[in-house]
Amino acid sequence: MCVWCERYAEGYERWYFNPANYARKLYRIRKEEAAGLEPGPQAAGGMSLLTRDFLEALDRNDHEAIAKVKHDVEQLSWTAHFGQVVTLEDVLKVIDTIYPIAIMTCACRRSMLGLADEENFTCIGMGSGMYKWERWPETYRGGIQFLTPDEAKDIVTKLNKRGLVQTLATFGTPYLGGICNCDYPDCSFIRTTLDYNVRVLWKGHHVARVDTELCSGCASCIHRCQFKALSFSPSQNKAYIDSFQCFGCGLCVSECPQDAITLVERASLPALADAW
Amino acid sequence: MLPTITVDDKKCTDPLSCHKCLRICPTHVLGLATKVGPQKFREMDPSQFIVAGVRFEKCTGCMDCVSVCPKSAIQVSF
Repeated sequence: MCVWCERYAEGYERWYFNPANYARKLYRIRKEEAAGLEPGPQAAGGMSLLTRDFLEALDRNDHEAIAKVKHDVEQLSWTAHFGQVVTLEDVLKVIDTIYPIAIMTCACRRSMLGLADEENFTCIGMGSGMYKWERWPETYRGGIQFLTPDEAKDIVTKLNKRGLVQTLATFGTPYLGGICNCDYPDCSFIRTTLDYNVRVLWKGHHVARVDTELCSGCASCIHRCQFKALSFSPSQNKAYIDSFQCFGCGLCVSECPQDAITLVERASLPALADAW
Repeated sequence: MLPTITVDDKKCTDPLSCHKCLRICPTHVLGLATKVGPQKFREMDPSQFIVAGVRFEKCTGCMDCVSVCPKSAIQVSF
């Protein structure tokens, strides 16, 4: 079972459907769990914790040093700031749960691409912290724009259509403060998790599956996968999904013209039920 | 979590022509082998073929092979 649901769902189907996990104490990282961290969005991010020492340890295959950094960074991230992939359907439900919602610029793409503010409004913030954005002018470079629930749903749906993966992000776990719209290689959640196997991004509650009878081999799904889980078998002329690599975002599902890909509940598959 | 995949060779008599389980597996776990290994200068009798879960670390436990098998020869347990 998803450990976050176990701890924080409080009777709701998933932890991110529990209204208590939004807005309350947003940005306030509890001191006893993350001593030394400044409250505020600056505490965010796993990338900055992976220094040259870690890359050198990877380079020389120093398993012990790698395991130690991985452990430390994961523990900190799971306390302060981590993400979980969600389907579009689940995000739309979340948007109905929480108010206020605002769109802002994406910190990852600013740092990795130097995107100008006006090209970079792909990040969604939630909760009362949105009223305090002016305290962190650098984090919220470009300002924020408050959205009605319908506007927020429309934006998220368009970003999903464009091929961006929705992830929910905590700011002082379990308080959920952001809907990220991620893609490889510039999203720091995806990059850190895939490239370094440091799990700052958790898989979602579903797994995609191809019905090979229905798959026509058109390959239009292939570019949708941001997790290197989807490949194409030229000999079979079929899409192939590595179920263990799939994060369950559903982007390939919505692109398939044959409806050959479906989402299956992770919990229904014994080998994947605990593979987050 | 690793499964144990067992195929009852007495029930699965001609996997070379049936191969339904090989085709339905979403992660291509099952493989076709023979009981006797390669034989020089002669073709194998179809009855010598067997199915086994060779790439079982990729088995998700969906049980599609179990339900597609016309002879109910496959068992998957976790």
